[in-house]
Amino acid sequence: MNWFGFSVGILTLFIIGLGFVWVIRGERYFGYLWWPYVIALGASCVLGSLFISNIWISALLGGFGASLTWGSTELKEQAIRGELGWYPFREKKILPPLVDVIKKWKAPSL
Amino acid sequence: MRRIIFDMELNWIGLAAAAATFFGVWLGHVSVRKIEREVEHIWIPSVLALLSGVGLEIASFLTPNLILSTICGILGVTVLWDALELAVRQPRRVREGFAPANPNNPRHAKILAMHTQATTIDWLARDPRGTPYTNTELEALKERSL
Repeated sequence: MNWFGFSVGILTLFIIGLGFVWVIRGERYFGYLWWPYVIALGASCVLGSLFISNIWISALLGGFGASLTWGSTELKEQAIRGELGWYPFREKKILPPLVDVIKKWKAPSL
Repeated sequence: MRRIIFDMELNWIGLAAAAATFFGVWLGHVSVRKIEREVEHIWIPSVLALLSGVGLEIASFLTPNLILSTICGILGVTVLWDALELAVRQPRRVREGFAPANPNNPRHAKILAMHTQATTIDWLARDPRGTPYTNTELEALKERSL
């Protein structure tokens, strides 16, 4: 019996669950325009996991990076949910650096 | 730290976990919406997802290969979650009007008839505009798409 994959799977489920929380909170206070930074952070985690020899830390960092990357594609829809009144809406957002450039890009939504 | 970080050799487990997580979530996200929308007897795909998830977990226990075990373990839990989404969570979103109902699906037609909140509008098919919608605006959006 190899428990590794199952254990990593269960822990990944919690990491994905955490995604629900940070996407909702993050969008409320910071807005969806942070998405390129979130993708970059997610990709850095995945890249970093290649250099970690401990199999548990490497696997969980990879899963966390993928969850961040996925969450970045959810931010735009979450912004709409807030505007529709499905979630508390906060008009004043802490905007990201280079926001005017980012506004010209199409936010990913998968 | 010395013992955690390698100098030369790459550890592919993290990348495998990342790929399984990203594609598992993506596949679930797209297919749950699509399948729940189209299928009348939703228990059939729900049970299939449940069985696939259990099968993937059994595979993750049986393989001695760590990368394969990781991929099966992560895909397994995401598919098990999809079973719950198909059977419970997505139909609830349709009943409450958060996800669009498909009037051509007899199960959804019943939902539309029984639940006043249910709608065929895809509320999320728009761009963020930066300000909240007023109730009047929401009503107008509903009227326009009827």
